[in-house]
Amino acid sequence: MESNTNCRIGVYICMCGTNIAKMIDVESVAKFVSSVPNVVLAKTYKYMCSNPGQEMIVQDIKENHLNRVVVAACSPNMHERTFRSALRSAGLNQYLFEMANIREQCSWVHKDTEEATLKAKELINAAIKRVVYHEELESMSVAMCPNVLVIGGGIAGMTAALELADAGNLVYLVEKENHLGGNLARVDLTAPYLYSARDLLTERITRIMNHKQVQVFFESRLSGLTGFIGNFKATIGKLNGEPDNVTNQVEVEIGNVIVCTGFKEFDAARIVHYGYGKLPNVITSFELEKMIRAGRIITKEGKTPKYVAIIHCVGSRSQEFHTYCSRVCCMTALKYAHEIKSANPESYISDIYIDMHAFGKGHEDFYKRSSEAKTLFLMYEKDDRPVIHKASPKDDCEMLIEVNEKLSGELIEIPADLVVLMVGMEAREDSHDIARLVNISQDKDGWFIESHPKLEPVATTTDGIFIAGTCVAPKDIPDTVAQARAAAARVLARISKGKIEVDALFSEVIEDKCSGCRLCNQLCPYNAIEFDDVKKISHIISALCKGCGVCVAACPSAAIRGRHFTDQQVLAQVEGLFET
Amino acid sequence: MAGDKPKLKLAVYWAAACGGCCVSVLDVHEKLFDVVSAADLVFWPIALDTKYEDVENMPDKYIDLTLFNGAVRNSENEHMARLLRKKSKTLVAYGSCAHMGGIPGLANFSTREEILRRVFEETESVVNTDKIRPVPEYTAKEGVLEIPEFYNDVRSLSLVVDVDYYIPGCPPQTERLLEVFTAIVTGAELPPKGSVVGADNKTQCEECTRKKSENKKIKKFYRPWEIKDDGETCFLEQGVICMGPATRAGCGHRCIKGNAPCRGCYGPPSGAIDPGAKMMSAIAGIIDEKEPEEISRVIEDIADPGGYFYRFSLPVSLIRRKVQ
Repeated sequence: MESNTNCRIGVYICMCGTNIAKMIDVESVAKFVSSVPNVVLAKTYKYMCSNPGQEMIVQDIKENHLNRVVVAACSPNMHERTFRSALRSAGLNQYLFEMANIREQCSWVHKDTEEATLKAKELINAAIKRVVYHEELESMSVAMCPNVLVIGGGIAGMTAALELADAGNLVYLVEKENHLGGNLARVDLTAPYLYSARDLLTERITRIMNHKQVQVFFESRLSGLTGFIGNFKATIGKLNGEPDNVTNQVEVEIGNVIVCTGFKEFDAARIVHYGYGKLPNVITSFELEKMIRAGRIITKEGKTPKYVAIIHCVGSRSQEFHTYCSRVCCMTALKYAHEIKSANPESYISDIYIDMHAFGKGHEDFYKRSSEAKTLFLMYEKDDRPVIHKASPKDDCEMLIEVNEKLSGELIEIPADLVVLMVGMEAREDSHDIARLVNISQDKDGWFIESHPKLEPVATTTDGIFIAGTCVAPKDIPDTVAQARAAAARVLARISKGKIEVDALFSEVIEDKCSGCRLCNQLCPYNAIEFDDVKKISHIISALCKGCGVCVAACPSAAIRGRHFTDQQVLAQVEGLFET
Repeated sequence: MAGDKPKLKLAVYWAAACGGCCVSVLDVHEKLFDVVSAADLVFWPIALDTKYEDVENMPDKYIDLTLFNGAVRNSENEHMARLLRKKSKTLVAYGSCAHMGGIPGLANFSTREEILRRVFEETESVVNTDKIRPVPEYTAKEGVLEIPEFYNDVRSLSLVVDVDYYIPGCPPQTERLLEVFTAIVTGAELPPKGSVVGADNKTQCEECTRKKSENKKIKKFYRPWEIKDDGETCFLEQGVICMGPATRAGCGHRCIKGNAPCRGCYGPPSGAIDPGAKMMSAIAGIIDEKEPEEISRVIEDIADPGGYFYRFSLPVSLIRRKVQ
């Protein structure tokens, strides 16, 4: 409806109590607006957003055959939805509406009534000029494939997979190892309640392996992902030892992806002066777990260690390596003190830490119990790491550790036969490949970025891709399981809806204008642009498009049109600002 | 060709132009015989001894078709634009200057004062100690002498008078002119008024046979002489700015075929308001740097961006000219 003669615009000027009216002469504005071409009526009202205000719009649309509405009031953030719904209930397409913000951008920020009134006229005039070019837009919906791809067979991946499969959906679970369980399978007992990790896992692994709705791909990885939410095609390939090569590729159709690729432990050899790899009895926490699971805590020489020292924050909370806290090591260290003491009540344990982080449920009690078990706690200053020496033959221990003990302020030397390094968590080397494949972002440390750190902790900026567990950030088992179930719940909610609504405000390629220069192809932050090799033109997947307009601005041929933000609409609005 | 029909009355005029457009009309070569058998050339300063007075004496709408080339830079150009509009049934803006302002339009990056000062006082070859400038009117012993007034703005034809059609190009391709001419002579259905004719709807990339991929990541822009063009990869992917994606096809992509990037003389495709701005935002999208300083460095490699992106279109662009 570009022809101005067909346009019948109703303009409503809100007083917002006195919020607007005390600074803007609304009657003068209404008088001005009445004289603008295409305006059929202009009204002022105390509260346009109130029910009577909205009813007035609905009635006017019906009685005066309005086909465009402008409301001059507060920010569209505040009430655009309100007025759009008023248009809908009057049977008018909700996009034939425009708001002029004469409160936040006018009455609230000005002190001169005359100037504020003039500015209000200009803002409303701009909105009127724009709304003339508005078009009826409809949102679309696309089908949601109920199958789900879960990447990673650790506790997070298995939990999510079972949740989804138990609800009746087909789950493809991809695991790069030849067994399930992930990092948790390397652990003996869990802190703080000392439940057996094996017990936690065995039940789940058995259920998954026997589940009709779960298909597990061992020694495999995701090698390709195309499509968009509800309609992805994933390629899964068998690993064959070569990093960039997979074989026996299988293509599966899925609607959503949950990434649960976990963490890898910090390489202790990077902190050279702890001598890991050189001193035989300096081991990592995971190596100790292995001994505990085998039931024998011994030194390389096969002796039961009398003195065991546990050093915290290896690779964590350091400017040099990772600045973040790995969250689970403090409690795990306490668990080791407990396990070593149970295995050999004669042993002496020193726990060398920076700060004792006991933030979780039951953790503080666990710390209290451990300190009563006669563990020697020594605090060291960040970046003033303990120094490990080889002991002399006259000492009754293998090594001596020098600690600048922070609380006493003294240099303390403690004996050790076995030193356990509490290695922190870090992002896996291949996390970048996964991020690229599923189009999600990573932070400076390589962890996957959530859509909102507080309100959207398992969603990502790519619709249909969720993240859970320690691939997002270091966390303990309860948090990991909670995230896995949260991600599964998000996916289930979408599956139960059966389809996804696509906002009407997306960008589209005008096919007979696109010449296939491909300048837009890599610009889309949502990967919504694909190149049609047959037609030799670019195409926007509307279900993926968020209407940000990057491609619209960048298209040198003006072949991409941003719905509701066309050049014509925006330029008319700009011109409208300068007419008054 | 003409049959029994009365012959078409044809005029060709140059305003602020280099003469290339008139030569492109002459480039019909032997087809000129077809042209003159179908049309009488009633006014064409480059080829015929006709005077402005002759045009002034014509009845209104006497001329069937006028090909007006050149931009409107001075009062003489404007006078002739208005006169020919009045005397012509169909007025065609012929060539980039009439279409968009063209190369003369780049003068809008300077003011009249800057141009006159530079030309009459500062140019290295000029000695003008009295700082004498040309004036539109001068009274001499012999009487009053007049020269056209030099305007501050260069305008395209449509910024001065109502234009029926546009034939783009610097200069337009002669074959495309013949197509349009034939269509008019044979009475074929003409496109709506205001259309660009003698050109295509898509951009240069549609015809360009160079290999194009999505891999357009640029860390440095080069001028064509700074790199060895491989002859087959999209210029942009090699870091050479090519106006092709923002430029209407129809010239036979001759520059690109000659291994030179497109300069943009055919103007934007329909719907693109400002090809210079369009191309700049497209270029911004392919700069492969994250840090602001690095991005600035890449942009600084682009020599004379105003002249590059607005080479033919400054007077009709959104910015139109340098603010005084």
